[in-house]
Amino acid sequence: MSQTHTVTFRFADGASRAIDVAEDETLLDAALAGGVPLMHQCRSGSCSSCIATICEGDTSNQPGSSSTLLASEYEAGHRLLCVSRAQSDCTFDLSYGSAEGGVVPVEVNAFVNAIEPIASNVVKLSLELAEGNWLSFKPGQFVQIEVPGVGKLRSYSPVSTEADLPTLELLIRLLPEGVMSSWLKSGANVDDVVKLKGPYGAFFLREKRRAPHIFVAGGTGLAPVLSMIDRMRQIGGRKPPMLLSFGCATSDALFYLDELELRRQWLPGLDTRICVDREPDSCYHNGSPVSALRPEDVTDPDTVAYLCGPQGMIDAATRRLIELGVAPENVFAEQFVPSN
Amino acid sequence: MADEPVVRRRVVKAASGISEARVNGQKTQSQYQPYKDAAWGFINHWYPAVFSKELAEDEVKGIQICGIPIVLRRVDGKVYALKDQCLHRGVRLSEKPMCFNKKTISCWYHGFTFDLKDGKLSTIVANPDDKLVGTTGLTSYPTEEVAGMVFVFVREDDFADEDVPPLSQDLPFRFPENSERFPHPLWPAAPSLLDADAVGHGMHRTGYGNWRIACENGFDNAHILVHKDNTIVHAMEWVLPLGILPTSDDCITVVEDEQGPKGMMQWLFTEKWAPVLENESLGLKVEGLKGRFYRTSVVLPGVLMVENWPGEHIVQYEWYVPITDDLHEYWEVLVKVCPTEKERADFQYKFDRVYKPLCLHGFNDCDLYAREAMQNFYADGTGWDDEQLVATDISPITWRKLASRWNRGIAKPGKGVAGSVKTHSIRFKDTAAGKPPGYFVEQIED
Repeated sequence: MSQTHTVTFRFADGASRAIDVAEDETLLDAALAGGVPLMHQCRSGSCSSCIATICEGDTSNQPGSSSTLLASEYEAGHRLLCVSRAQSDCTFDLSYGSAEGGVVPVEVNAFVNAIEPIASNVVKLSLELAEGNWLSFKPGQFVQIEVPGVGKLRSYSPVSTEADLPTLELLIRLLPEGVMSSWLKSGANVDDVVKLKGPYGAFFLREKRRAPHIFVAGGTGLAPVLSMIDRMRQIGGRKPPMLLSFGCATSDALFYLDELELRRQWLPGLDTRICVDREPDSCYHNGSPVSALRPEDVTDPDTVAYLCGPQGMIDAATRRLIELGVAPENVFAEQFVPSN
Repeated sequence: MADEPVVRRRVVKAASGISEARVNGQKTQSQYQPYKDAAWGFINHWYPAVFSKELAEDEVKGIQICGIPIVLRRVDGKVYALKDQCLHRGVRLSEKPMCFNKKTISCWYHGFTFDLKDGKLSTIVANPDDKLVGTTGLTSYPTEEVAGMVFVFVREDDFADEDVPPLSQDLPFRFPENSERFPHPLWPAAPSLLDADAVGHGMHRTGYGNWRIACENGFDNAHILVHKDNTIVHAMEWVLPLGILPTSDDCITVVEDEQGPKGMMQWLFTEKWAPVLENESLGLKVEGLKGRFYRTSVVLPGVLMVENWPGEHIVQYEWYVPITDDLHEYWEVLVKVCPTEKERADFQYKFDRVYKPLCLHGFNDCDLYAREAMQNFYADGTGWDDEQLVATDISPITWRKLASRWNRGIAKPGKGVAGSVKTHSIRFKDTAAGKPPGYFVEQIED
């Protein structure tokens, strides 16, 4: 039995993972075997995908292996984990977050393409990333936009997907006295330039889950959820059944109904329920999007749920879904917090 | 200010204004947006790869479908298909076939050797202990061989084996299962490739254009005008109308059965469509003695069936297999059930002497040039906005919508493959040397 050492990986988002590594195995092999999400590709010391910086401890090179690191890079603490072994307990810093892909937020410029009111209190803001700028995101994640002239940051989840880049579409709820709302109503013009930062957030679509998906959205909480549904459509292959329950207080606050109708046409497995909770006589489901959930919606114990809306809706939806049999760890939620 | 970088807009093309009044208004168009996105085809579907006779025992051939290079090898009668792009440096294995045994195919360049069954990297000729061995591989593609044709399930790299549907779900509607649903007095049961004793004879050639434009031509009921002067029509004294107009809302039945092909059946030569035999203002009148009744249907991923064509108890199938976004392989296959040796011989004779020269060539050559004539209009994307459709175009519009709904995935633009860069010197060099872009890989001659 060879000696083992404790090796700690620190991700850029603050997450940290420690594993035990035998002296005669490579750090990458041990980490992957232990479920640590390290970026890697060639596993033979050439591509540099698995590069990490050593903060504490000693390593040795796997006998017979070669590495493309320069001596100066090695001196600076860089290591290729696929050809490195631990000689003592070690700690490594990684330049990416623990969520797959290791996306680092960036700051970019974008032009305003259109400002369209789409409901009594919702505006769709279409942006286009400027020449040479790029900001990728997972469906469900959010970006921050700096309100021109005010310098304040506001967060929105694009309703569009990465496939629509360089165009990004945000659904913005108008608030009396809100700085974003004031800018949209009186200051914003097509061709204005705004600053964006992102992506942020751990509320994003977990791809390749095969069980049914339930999406519950209140108001502009529809944006991240529709981005997820569109992504599911783009992925191709066999799609799980999907249910979207979407609601607003009144029918004049509803929006994107044509867009949802298109999704229903494109996705045979998508069921949509439109809800209005303050208008008993409307043609929509009378009640909150949570009240539209039925026991028969949850028949698979692996059902996944994504919730986005006001805190009250999220709490109620979480309770209801767990009561119907969804495992708590399969409920992903993001509340949106209105900010003036 | 001087160090503030200049923020510039991307160069964008102006949106074209479309009137809502048009058949293909913006709203209708958005219903088939996924179809408009499918320039490289629909992926995760079954496509014909080669005729059985085109792949002899131990032979290796390279093809490309939906932007995916595929190498075929036949071993002990069975056809295997792998991604034809070595994972090391991207060379096509089929360019210079190298096989050291019946289980594998090796890359002729650096010796990466792949298991034919699952694509796993099983060894590297000169580096057998490399760490990579056993950890990676090429995507494999399920194959089926029926009635003289080899089909391959062209899939995304992560499409699961257990999700691969049976071939029958990507082939035209079958009879007699559908005889009650789609009755026709003249041919109660059209033959199918999957029938016992079915014989398929046909040909395939490269069409220079996008597969969708080609596909729509096959079942667009106004296009038969291009066949007005075809030799077979006049030699046989067939009555072929100038066009066929829909007269009823239910002139097309969309088929969306859970287990089965997704597509549409056109009720041609019933009261739901009216043949046009005369145009007085032009002094045109169709003369002829024998009605040549047929019926067209189309199923995903773009398979045409013409029942009762070009003769009794025969069916014509067509595929428009995407190679790239500007190239497709046009397949024309006639199927007949031939239980006896004599029937097989007769069908072969008739195919060689009549059907191939006068139908698959004489008749369908017109379709080929008509499809190519539409390409420039659509190639830059503006044709989809600018086309001015009419009543008979209910057929392509219905197809676009159902294809948008039922496809198993939209192929991504080809990556690192022939045709992903249209202006590479290799494409020019080959063309100048008399080898236009095509379907099969040109093998290196030593």
